[in-house]
Amino acid sequence: MDLLEYQAKELFREMGIPVLPSQRIDRPRDLKGLELPYPIVLKSQVYMGGRGRVGGVRFAENTIDAVAAAQTIFNLPIMGEYPKVLLAEAKYDVQQELYLAVALNRSIRRPVLLGSLKGGIDVRAAIDEMKYVVVDQEFSPFFARRLMLKMGLQGALINSVSAIVEKMYRLFLDNDLDLVEINPLGVSPTGEVMALDGKVTVNDDALARHPALAALNPKAPADPLHALDKLTPQTARSPEVVSTLNSDGQIGILCNGAGLTMATMDLVCQSGGKPANFLDIGSETHYSCMPDILGERLENGLEAIAQNKQVRVVLINLVSGTVSCEQIADAIVRFLQHQSRKVRSISEAREDGLVSRVARNPQLVVRLVGSHLAEAKERLSTTQALIIDDLEIAVSQAVSFTKQTKKPT
Amino acid sequence: MIFTPTSKVIVQGIMEPLGVTCAPLMKEYGTQVVAGISPGFGGQTLKGIPVFDMLEQALPLIGSVDAAVICTPPYAALDAALEAIAAGIRQVILISQGIPPLDMVHLIRKAEATETLLVGPNSPGIIVPGQILLGIHPPNLYTPGSVGLISRSGTLTYEVAWTLTQAGLGQSIGVSVGGDMIVGSSFPQWLQILDEDDRTEVIVLVGEIGGDSEEAAAHYIEEAIDKPVVAYIAGRSAPRGRRMGHAGAIIDSQIADFGPDVGSADSKVNAFKRAKIPVADRPSEIPTLVNELIKTSAQRSAG
Repeated sequence: MDLLEYQAKELFREMGIPVLPSQRIDRPRDLKGLELPYPIVLKSQVYMGGRGRVGGVRFAENTIDAVAAAQTIFNLPIMGEYPKVLLAEAKYDVQQELYLAVALNRSIRRPVLLGSLKGGIDVRAAIDEMKYVVVDQEFSPFFARRLMLKMGLQGALINSVSAIVEKMYRLFLDNDLDLVEINPLGVSPTGEVMALDGKVTVNDDALARHPALAALNPKAPADPLHALDKLTPQTARSPEVVSTLNSDGQIGILCNGAGLTMATMDLVCQSGGKPANFLDIGSETHYSCMPDILGERLENGLEAIAQNKQVRVVLINLVSGTVSCEQIADAIVRFLQHQSRKVRSISEAREDGLVSRVARNPQLVVRLVGSHLAEAKERLSTTQALIIDDLEIAVSQAVSFTKQTKKPT
Repeated sequence: MIFTPTSKVIVQGIMEPLGVTCAPLMKEYGTQVVAGISPGFGGQTLKGIPVFDMLEQALPLIGSVDAAVICTPPYAALDAALEAIAAGIRQVILISQGIPPLDMVHLIRKAEATETLLVGPNSPGIIVPGQILLGIHPPNLYTPGSVGLISRSGTLTYEVAWTLTQAGLGQSIGVSVGGDMIVGSSFPQWLQILDEDDRTEVIVLVGEIGGDSEEAAAHYIEEAIDKPVVAYIAGRSAPRGRRMGHAGAIIDSQIADFGPDVGSADSKVNAFKRAKIPVADRPSEIPTLVNELIKTSAQRSAG
């Protein structure tokens, strides 16, 4: 989960990283009660980067200018995102701008300290000059000083900048961050340092043990499975749990496990099919995953996928060691019963019978691997769901259904 | 092989939902599950497995333990693993997904210092067909044989195992290093283990988009692995920049990952092709490629 600049700076302030006096602006008229002396900088608070280049950062000398600038920024989308909040900040006189970051490197499986003498909005230049130090043992400040030497800093700056990196590392560790970045760290003519912009990304898996951070972005995309578990067949809404792919796709894909979902999606594409959306109802490595949960997720997941009226065929590919195919088939039957009830109630409401069952229900193509497959086939034999043993035959069957001009019955 | 039917195994978090599923499955397969650990449940039993509050209470009764399988909630996994390492256990398998990455960094440092083999997290663990199950692989999809199967996934590993089994190709081992961003053991580590394993003749590596572990594996195979390898990559059609369920399966250009193109399916397929490792386009092609390699290596040793 990403934090906005003003939220990141609040963390910096608590950790003792110097930041400028600032004030949060929720609407332009808040500037009339501004407690900062002019001139000020107004900054759009968005999750997207690159706001400076497109006018999301403006200077103001007085209240009239500031209100006008705020109105402009509130109405300026940054890569499609409108700010809900602006940050008003004192202006700062810089002689030099540095880039600093602490990030987790997945290949070497260690935190890395990053630094560049070329900080600021030209990210390319920062990267060209980037130096790094791997924190391969327990952190101690010498790792930060090692970065200072690599960057080529000298004299008093070695201590003042490495003290910042040290505090960034503590923030990183204490809050389970994926990334903490200061760009730029301003250096004044007198050698003072100041964090002028900041980016903080909290690790999603660790968010639950940092409730104060989690509360900063209540709209952050939660674990889609969590959202799926909260669904009931009556409230199923596809956008929050189902990932939409192609607006003109006609196949919905439902699997258990990320790798299997990707492999199945690849096969559909290789066979000339176009997935409309996909849903992974979760692997078996979730610590609270009880066998009956998979059935519920399947039922809710099918409801959610079928919300997309583009979907003419749903391909279900489930490979399970802990849940029998029979239980899976039962969940599919429950979904189909519910669907047909829903359709009937619509056609009863419209006596002209224009909305027929055939026109509404997506065709299900089911492929299961696991125990009690024969019983599962038995259960599904009386339904419209087509059950196929071989994955690739199931995929090509699903694709061929979308190529038919008339819907299969 | 370092995992045998005589290995003594404990399950930590045995009374958690995952443990309740996992431990009986292992025991049924013939794995010697000598104890379960779950704080607050000491004195109870699960399917005949004695449960203890702490590992140190179990040790005097069960003697030395070879492997620990961890099924605790994710935030308790680091502690459980440290408890196992402190008790001298040198094979630790983490099944639970969602362990915070910095907990893994801490654990990996400890494991390296103590020469402990870590598997997972977010992994179904290890199966040596016909011998031992350390995790939740569905045993009926596997059959003993000579194909060593390494992957990052759960159910996709089962899918490939089942494809091999149906084609008459048994497996010497099935192992998933895990789907999370920071995992305890790497593809090169497992390639090395299987290269030295007498029962393994061919290695099948099932990769997916995200990170650079497949690229690293391709490089390592070219340099150090004598046995033939077949690769398969899932996620060729995955949208860029979207998290695909596995925390590790995201193609991004985060600055700390050095290089924007690493992580895509193309990058991985090309890395294997450069190293002259055959890449299956779809799971059903894996047995075909394995059979070709077995034939070639038989000819080579005959000639």
